[in-house]
Amino acid sequence: MSLSLLSPLALALGAMVALPVLAHMARQVPRDRRAFGAMLLLQRVVKRLKRRRRIKDPLLLLLRALAVLLLALAAAGPVLSTPDGVPEFGGSGRVVVVLDRSMSMGAVSSGATLLQQARDDARALVEGLPDGVSLGLVVYDSDAMALTTELTPDRGRVAAAIEAVQPSYGTSNLRAGLLEARRLLGGEPGEVVLFSDEAGPRQIADATSELEALLELGSAVVPRTVRAEPARNVAILSARYGDGLEGGQVTVRLMNYGPDPIELPCEVTLPDGASIPIFADLPPAGPAEERITIPSEAQGGVGRVSCEDPDLPADDARFFHLPRVGASRVLVVDGDPGDTPIRSEVYFLERALAPWGGLKSGVTIDVTSPVGLLELEPETHRVVFLANVADPRPFGPRLTEFVRRGGSVVITGGDNVTAERYNAALSSVLPARIRQSRAVADRDEEGVPADLPDTSDGLFAPFRRGGRNGFPRVRTHTLLTLEPFDEGDDISVLLRWSNGMPALIERKVGSGRVLLWTSTLDLGWGNLPLQSVFMPLMQRMVGYLGGEAGSGALRVDAVVGQQVAVPLPDLAMDPRVLGPDGEAVRSRIDGQRVLFTPPAPGAYQLAIPSAPPLAWVAANPPPEESDVRAYDSVVAAERQIAPDLLTRDIDLARPAWLFGLVLVAAQALVSLRQGVPT
Amino acid sequence: MYDAEVLARVRHLHLRARTLTDALLMGEHRSRRVGQAVEFADYQEYLPGMDLRGLDWRVWGRTDRFVIKRFETETELPCTVVLDLSGDLGTGDRASRSLPALEGSKAGFAIVLAATLLYFLHRHGEPVGLEVVAGQGIPHASLPPRGGRNHLQLLFMLLASVRPGGRAGLREALARVGSRLRRRSWVAVVSDGMEEPSEWLPALAAFAKRGADLRFFHVYDPTEWKLDFDQPALFFSPEGGEELAVDPGGAQQAFAEVVEEYVDEVRGGVVRFGGRYLPVPTHLSLDAVIRAAVLDDTRALAEAVGR
Repeated sequence: MSLSLLSPLALALGAMVALPVLAHMARQVPRDRRAFGAMLLLQRVVKRLKRRRRIKDPLLLLLRALAVLLLALAAAGPVLSTPDGVPEFGGSGRVVVVLDRSMSMGAVSSGATLLQQARDDARALVEGLPDGVSLGLVVYDSDAMALTTELTPDRGRVAAAIEAVQPSYGTSNLRAGLLEARRLLGGEPGEVVLFSDEAGPRQIADATSELEALLELGSAVVPRTVRAEPARNVAILSARYGDGLEGGQVTVRLMNYGPDPIELPCEVTLPDGASIPIFADLPPAGPAEERITIPSEAQGGVGRVSCEDPDLPADDARFFHLPRVGASRVLVVDGDPGDTPIRSEVYFLERALAPWGGLKSGVTIDVTSPVGLLELEPETHRVVFLANVADPRPFGPRLTEFVRRGGSVVITGGDNVTAERYNAALSSVLPARIRQSRAVADRDEEGVPADLPDTSDGLFAPFRRGGRNGFPRVRTHTLLTLEPFDEGDDISVLLRWSNGMPALIERKVGSGRVLLWTSTLDLGWGNLPLQSVFMPLMQRMVGYLGGEAGSGALRVDAVVGQQVAVPLPDLAMDPRVLGPDGEAVRSRIDGQRVLFTPPAPGAYQLAIPSAPPLAWVAANPPPEESDVRAYDSVVAAERQIAPDLLTRDIDLARPAWLFGLVLVAAQALVSLRQGVPT
Repeated sequence: MYDAEVLARVRHLHLRARTLTDALLMGEHRSRRVGQAVEFADYQEYLPGMDLRGLDWRVWGRTDRFVIKRFETETELPCTVVLDLSGDLGTGDRASRSLPALEGSKAGFAIVLAATLLYFLHRHGEPVGLEVVAGQGIPHASLPPRGGRNHLQLLFMLLASVRPGGRAGLREALARVGSRLRRRSWVAVVSDGMEEPSEWLPALAAFAKRGADLRFFHVYDPTEWKLDFDQPALFFSPEGGEELAVDPGGAQQAFAEVVEEYVDEVRGGVVRFGGRYLPVPTHLSLDAVIRAAVLDDTRALAEAVGR
């Protein structure tokens, strides 16, 4: 904002301000003296008037000084230039219409989406242009696309193209849109008419350089903003499943971008179709978090959270991954049913993992014979206990595949375990090759105790709070000895016996893990089932392997409109990407990855024929588009780039004359009403 | 020792007073002595030396006791005129630094009023006295009530000689006069009252205490009380004090409000101490003033001056 004067010399008139000041100070001290017999009364009057004068005197001086100053200023012809001008459209003959079709333009205002309103405005503008004007059309979301290859005088064609523009789930890449517009202008000046909601914290800021380039080119960028006032929207920012020994819960984070508090009915739909209604209570312009408890048994896959928000329907649903949850996820392969409970691993595992039955604990145990392993599915069972199984060779490949796809296996020792068979069948998943079983103490002795475990993280982390000292009471008199192996990122010894031999070894294989317990889970070789750490250790083992190791399918999050790469577990596979509707989505294989771009929100799966999905992809709209509030404006950015370009001149002379004369009259009035001169 | 001007003023005063008094008394039966009516008051035990003419023989006959009958007898009514001739009285129309004009000036008006009152009361046979508050050019400021033509002549001489000046000091002056009054006196205070009323009004208590019949003649110049002047001027009091530069045009409204409050204050004070308040603007006919004073018709006077 700046003030300029057409006749600066006239300001010298301002010196006249001294006149009223002097007049005020030297105001009439009357020359006449008059003897007065009622001075008592006059003194009272003066006292009364002085009270008024204390206000009137400075006021009078101020009025007179202001009057002279204003009149002098008016004579100087003041002009105020303010940077609040707006770019005006028309006259160049070269016009590029840039249309924002990003997701935020799907916001509904006055019964129509912003994109519909923008299309109508743009079409009206195009149709109203005079003949001979060259036109171009650019649409943009995450990318920009010129719908006319070059400027054309065919207004009908451009209007039809505008009418055909459809909304997308893309982000607002204004910079790309302006770049495309500049390309259409071909380095010549012109006018870029931008139809956008200018929403989002970064849209304008990221386009500043391109705005600058256009302005340097001599082009005008004329924004035609379409916006809902006030901007409102409720978005689901995230939905995430948190695992636990029991059913677990989905944490949904919502955001209200509107200025008013709002209550919304929402719904969580699980992969098996079950729905859980919730009610979200959102503060104005603030977030909220809702936690939804998942049933103790739920099918794995991709779930959906949706809310009934009328303002921007595109972001009213969010898809999230849900692993297989709940009971029956532990499969115990009983290799030695045993004739008494104390010789049965199943007996002790059932009491440790499901002491009240599967419904209450969230973990129930399916017990099977080794034959049952022929049907092994990570989405169904997440942890498999091989309890003293004699010969794993018939199901070795399937168990290996189960582990690669995210399943977990716990292998325990026992009299039936034979090193050769295990090493042969499970060589690619065993943490270490088994050498033999060896007695380290007599059966009637107490046996070798276990060491204290490392509770800094991992499997034993929960025992940091208590129970760690119980491990040295775990003893064994027989154990599996192992061939030498190297510990590394994939293989690690989690617990040792006091004689230095490994007690529990972990190996990560693909998406799964394998634990090898070198003693038994019954009382055959040791006393573990009778120790206080047994139950929490088994519970923790299931949670650790089943919850944290993930499940069978790979789970990938994606953003609609953005390419996603899904790693392939086996190059021999020929997977297809299936969309939410079950139809194939265009994809390509790039090395060990499958690449595709989800066109809409939903659950995508990387599928191979007659097999469970290799991967689940939860595609959601870009969260930044949910923020429909305007943070900046193109006009403000233009003013910042070229302050001289957008100014508005205000002639202040007339109001100065008027106000000055009013002040002259006011001071005269006040002066007349003044009774006591000094 | 009086110069010719003073003597002429005495004659003038005498003439004015007599004219006004005659007009007032026209048709009325005059008695030389006023108040011969006898009214029984009470008895008193006879003591040796008492006048035996007052013995009540009937009581002696019935009770064999000597008692003296006592009477309240209206005889002479000592009348005192307190004339304020402070400097402020010397302002207003026809003001003069020397002897004030008897016609039209504030001081002259007060002097003629005092003279008329004195003459009227003298004609009624009352002893009259004069207390001049402030004033200049007179040898005596206080002449207590007496009868006789010579005394009246002396009073007139005093009135003819005095000119306004000095500060009244109403509080002290009224207290002094009040303390010297005989009981059941008639007192007329002729003053402009231009001192802080809250200070001097309480001095009227001395009059009330002695049962004086008080008349307060509030003399003022209507031009002054309307602040009816054309040009701004430095206003000052002859009695001294601060000079005030005032534009009368802008102050008239506030001045009228102040006058109103001031009159109410003085009237209230006078009435509170048992007196009668008589506003006396200098343009008013003295005839009406004297009539109101003598006939106790203060309401007619107030209506006449609009206060």
